[in-house]
Amino acid sequence: MIHVLEVRDLKTQFRTDSGVVQAVDGISYYIDEGEIVGLVGESGCGKSVSQLSLLQLIPMPPGKIVGGEVIFEGFNPLEFKADSEQMRAIRGGKIGIIFQEPMTSLNPVLTIGQQIIEVLVLHLRMDRVTARRRAIELLKLVGIPDAGQRIDNYPHQLSGGMRQRVMIAMALSCNPRLLVADEATTALDVTTQAQLLELLQDTVKRFNTSLLIVTHNLGIVARYAHRIYVMYAGRVVESGTSRDIFGNARHPYTVGLLKAVPRLDEPRGHKLVPIEGLPPNLINRSPTCVFLPRCSHRVEQCQREPWPELRLVDGQHYVSCHVDITKQSCPSNYALGIAATLASGVTAVRCEERASVNVRPSLDETLLEVKNLKMYFPVTRGLLRHKVADVKAVDDVSFKIKKGETLGLVGESGCGKTTVARCILRMYRPTEGQVIFEGRNIAQLPKSGIRPIRHKMQLIFQDPYSSLDPRQNAGSIVGEPLKIHHLVKSNTEYQRRLAELFRMVGLDPGMKDRVPHEFSGGQRQRIGIARALACNPSFIVCDEPISALDVSIQAQIINLLEELQHKLGLTYLFIAHDLSVVRHISDRVAVMYLGRIVEITDWKSLYESPLHPYTQALLSAVPIPDPFVEEKRERIILKGEVPSLINLPLGCNFHPRCSLAIKECKQVVPLLRDVGEGHEIACIRV
Amino acid sequence: MTTMTARPDELLELPPRTSEFRRFLRVFLGRKIVILGSTIILALIIVAIFAPFIAPFDPYRQNLRETLQQPSGKYLLGTDPLGRDVLSRIIYGSRVSLMVGLVSVGIAGCIGMSLGLLAGYFGGLADMLIMRFIDALMSIPPLMLAIAIGAALGGGLTNVMISLGIALIPTYARLMRGQVLTVKQSDYVIAGEVVGGSDLRIMLVHVFPNCLSPLIVLVTLNLGYAILAEAGLSFLGLGISPPGAAWGAMVNDGYRYLLTNPILSFAPGFCVMLVVLAFNLVGDGLRDALDPRLRGTI
Repeated sequence: MIHVLEVRDLKTQFRTDSGVVQAVDGISYYIDEGEIVGLVGESGCGKSVSQLSLLQLIPMPPGKIVGGEVIFEGFNPLEFKADSEQMRAIRGGKIGIIFQEPMTSLNPVLTIGQQIIEVLVLHLRMDRVTARRRAIELLKLVGIPDAGQRIDNYPHQLSGGMRQRVMIAMALSCNPRLLVADEATTALDVTTQAQLLELLQDTVKRFNTSLLIVTHNLGIVARYAHRIYVMYAGRVVESGTSRDIFGNARHPYTVGLLKAVPRLDEPRGHKLVPIEGLPPNLINRSPTCVFLPRCSHRVEQCQREPWPELRLVDGQHYVSCHVDITKQSCPSNYALGIAATLASGVTAVRCEERASVNVRPSLDETLLEVKNLKMYFPVTRGLLRHKVADVKAVDDVSFKIKKGETLGLVGESGCGKTTVARCILRMYRPTEGQVIFEGRNIAQLPKSGIRPIRHKMQLIFQDPYSSLDPRQNAGSIVGEPLKIHHLVKSNTEYQRRLAELFRMVGLDPGMKDRVPHEFSGGQRQRIGIARALACNPSFIVCDEPISALDVSIQAQIINLLEELQHKLGLTYLFIAHDLSVVRHISDRVAVMYLGRIVEITDWKSLYESPLHPYTQALLSAVPIPDPFVEEKRERIILKGEVPSLINLPLGCNFHPRCSLAIKECKQVVPLLRDVGEGHEIACIRV
Repeated sequence: MTTMTARPDELLELPPRTSEFRRFLRVFLGRKIVILGSTIILALIIVAIFAPFIAPFDPYRQNLRETLQQPSGKYLLGTDPLGRDVLSRIIYGSRVSLMVGLVSVGIAGCIGMSLGLLAGYFGGLADMLIMRFIDALMSIPPLMLAIAIGAALGGGLTNVMISLGIALIPTYARLMRGQVLTVKQSDYVIAGEVVGGSDLRIMLVHVFPNCLSPLIVLVTLNLGYAILAEAGLSFLGLGISPPGAAWGAMVNDGYRYLLTNPILSFAPGFCVMLVVLAFNLVGDGLRDALDPRLRGTI
C-alpha cells in the first residue's frame, strides 16, 4: 500500500551560538489515507520542527535539513527549493496546516473571506465570484453560523474558537490530501477543543483526507488517533496503534508520561509519579539513549550501547529501548542499585502519602469567605470617557474556604476565575460584596490597610517565565518578602531562612545567585513557590500554577504543592482549567461560567455525579488518556459559543447553550441552592 | 515528610558562579569592540583634562601671518582663518564639547526618565498632567526651544547645557513611559505588589531596571546631537563666545573654507563622530552586560 505521506530518517539541525541543536534526529513515520495519526511529545522534542521541515517552513539559516527523505504523492518535497512553485503548491494546497495561535495566524486587516478567497484563487485558479461562493460553503462546512454574513467579518470580530474554524476552512479549501493540526486546539477551552476535534474527525471521514495531530495532550490522541508516535528529544521512542500505546506501553518514557498525568477516571489519593530530571539538552547529545538519565528502567547495557533503534514488539508496535520492561522486575535492580534515590524514593513517598491522606486536618474553621462578590469593569467610550456598559467579570459570587482545605475553581477562559482571585488578594477593589479573611472584611480596605496583611495571603503565578523579575537573582526574589515585612532580624537569619526556603521547594540553596534566565521552567516555578512561602502565609492562591509547564514537570510541581500543604497546613484556592488536575488536588470544587458559580461541592460528588448541565458538558469534554475508556464514554458537545461578557444573556447565563433550557431559564437568574450534603447548584431544572 | 530535593543532574548543568562584578567585567570587556570604545572615551577624557600640557600651541593666540595653513610638520592640522592652530583648538574644544554632551544628556535623562516613570507607573491623572506637559514641550522643535530658553536665561555655557537638557526631555519621558507601561503588565510587578512591596520599591527595584535597555541606546545617540546642537546655539551667540573653542562651533566656522581647507570642518567633525561611535559601542556593551537574559549566550 502506498502511504499518503512517508517520512524517512528526517534530520533537522539549528545552528546557534552555543552549538548545533539537533532538533529532529532521524525520525520516520507514515500516514495512510483517511487515517488519524498522533505525534505526541513534550515541548522541544521536535514534533513541530519535523512538520515544518517537511514543508520547508523552518527558517534557513539557522535551520538546516541535513538528511532524510519525504515521500508525498511520489515526489520528495525536500528536493524542491523552499520558495519554488512546486513547494508552494504543496503548502496550503495539498497539505493543509493549522497552527496553534488562532489570534495571530489570521491577518487582522483583511476580512476572513478575503483570506480564504486568496487561497482559492492562488491554488485552484478560481475566479473571485466562484471563490466567494466556495468560501461560504467552506465556512458552513466548519460550522460557522450565518456564513454568508460572517465571511465579511474581520478576525477580531470572531472568538478564538471561530478563528480556529476559519483556519480549518482555509486548510480545507484546496481539498488537501493531508491536514496537519499542530497543537491546533491547545490554546482553546476544553469545550471548544472538543467541538473542533469532532469537526476535524468528521472532515477526515467525509473527505477521506488524512489528519496528523501534533500535540502534547495524551488525552486528545487517545480519543482521536488511530496510530501514535511518541517523540522524545528529536526521535520517535515508541510507535503503534493507540491501543498498543495506552494499553501496553513499552518505553519507560511513555509509561512515565502516562503515570505523570492525573486522570479523570482513576481512584484518587495516590501521588503522581513525575519523570525526574529535566528534558535533555539537544546540543552535543550523548551517543547513548537520551532518556537514560531520567529512566527508572535502565540497565547496564544502556550505558554501553548507542541509542537503540526502533524494534518491533508486535503487529505495528515499535519501541526504541534495550530493555523489555514487561520482563523486568519493576524498577530494575540495576536502577535501584545505581540510582537508589530515583525510583525507590518515589515508591517510599507514595506509601507514606497514602497514609497521610487520611489524617488531613479537617478543621471546621472558615479561613476565607467571599460573599456576593461583584467586580464590574466599566467600558468607556469617547473623549470624556463616559461609561457605556459594564464588563461583569464577576457577578455575585459567594463561597467559603475552610482552614487547611483546597478549593478548586474551574471554568473556561474569561469566566472570571482570575478576577475572583485578584479581588481576594485585593489587587482589585471589588465593586460590591465582602471578602472576609480571618474574620475581617478586607474588600474595601485602602491600599495602606492591605499592605500589613499581604504576607498572610500569597499568589503563585501561571507563567514562571514572566513572574520572576529577570534582573534579580533567585535569592533576592525569594528574600524580598522577608525584607519588606521585616521578618528577619539579622543577615545570618536572612541567609538561614533563605536556604531553608530553597530546600523546602527542592532547590539547592547554592543556586541563589543565579538569575531566573538560568533556571528551567519547573525550577522557576519552584522559586515562585518559595517566594510565596517566604512570609509564612496561611492562604495561597494558585492561579493555573502548572498549565505553562511540561507534562513530566507538572507532576513534580503538583506533588510539591501537596507536600507543602501537609507540612505547613496551607489553605489553597486552586484555579485551573484542567479538570483532571483540579480533581487530583482539591477537596471541594467550584465551577464558574461567565462570572457566576454554577456548581460547588466536594470533589467526589462533582466528578461522580455532576448535576449542572454545564459541569456535565465540561467533564465530558475532557479527553481521558485511555482509548478503551474513551470508546465507551458518552460525549456531550456544547453548542455555540461563550457569549460576550458585555452582552450577557438574560436569566441564566447558560441557557442559550443548555439542552435542558425552558422558557423560565430566560427570565430567572438561578441562585445557588443546596441540594443536600453541601452540594450547591445554580439551575432551576435540576 | 520527605521534601523533594533537586537531582544532581539539575545542579551540574551550569558552571560555578563567579562574583557578580567580575562576571560583568568579563562580559563587558569580552568584546573587542567594547574595549575599543572604552579606550577612545578614556583617551578623550585624558586629553580634555590635560589639554594645556598636550596642546602644542595656545588655542587662542592669533597669528595673522600664518592664516589658513595646510597641515604641515609645524601645524599638524593646519591653521584657521585667524592663524590659530586647529589641533590645539580641537584639544581644548574637547573640554567644552564633552561637557556639553554629557551634562545636557544627563539633565534630560534624569528629568525625562523620572517623569516617564511616574507617568507610566501611576497612570490616571498623574499620567495625563505629565504627558500633556511633555506634549507641549515636544511640539516645539528642540533647537527652537533651546534658543528660547537660552534667550531667556542669557548666553553662556551653563545655560546652553540647561536649555539643551530641557529640550531633550520629551524623548526620554515618552520612551520611558512606553517601557513602563509594558513592564508594568508583567507578572513580576504584580508579584512585587502581592508580597507587599511599596510603590516606590516596586518602581525602583522591579520596573526601572527592566526599562533601561532602549534608554541606554538613546543616551548614546543623543550625545552627538547635543554636541552639534551646541554649535548651532554658539552660532547664534548663545553658546560659548569667541575665541572659546568647541567642536560644533569649529565645524560651523570651517564650512566656508570647505573647498580650500576642508580639514577645518572635517577634523572637529571627525571628533564628534568618534565620540558618538565610542559611546554607542560602550552603550551596547553596557546594555548587554547588564542584561541577565543574555547570560550564557555571550
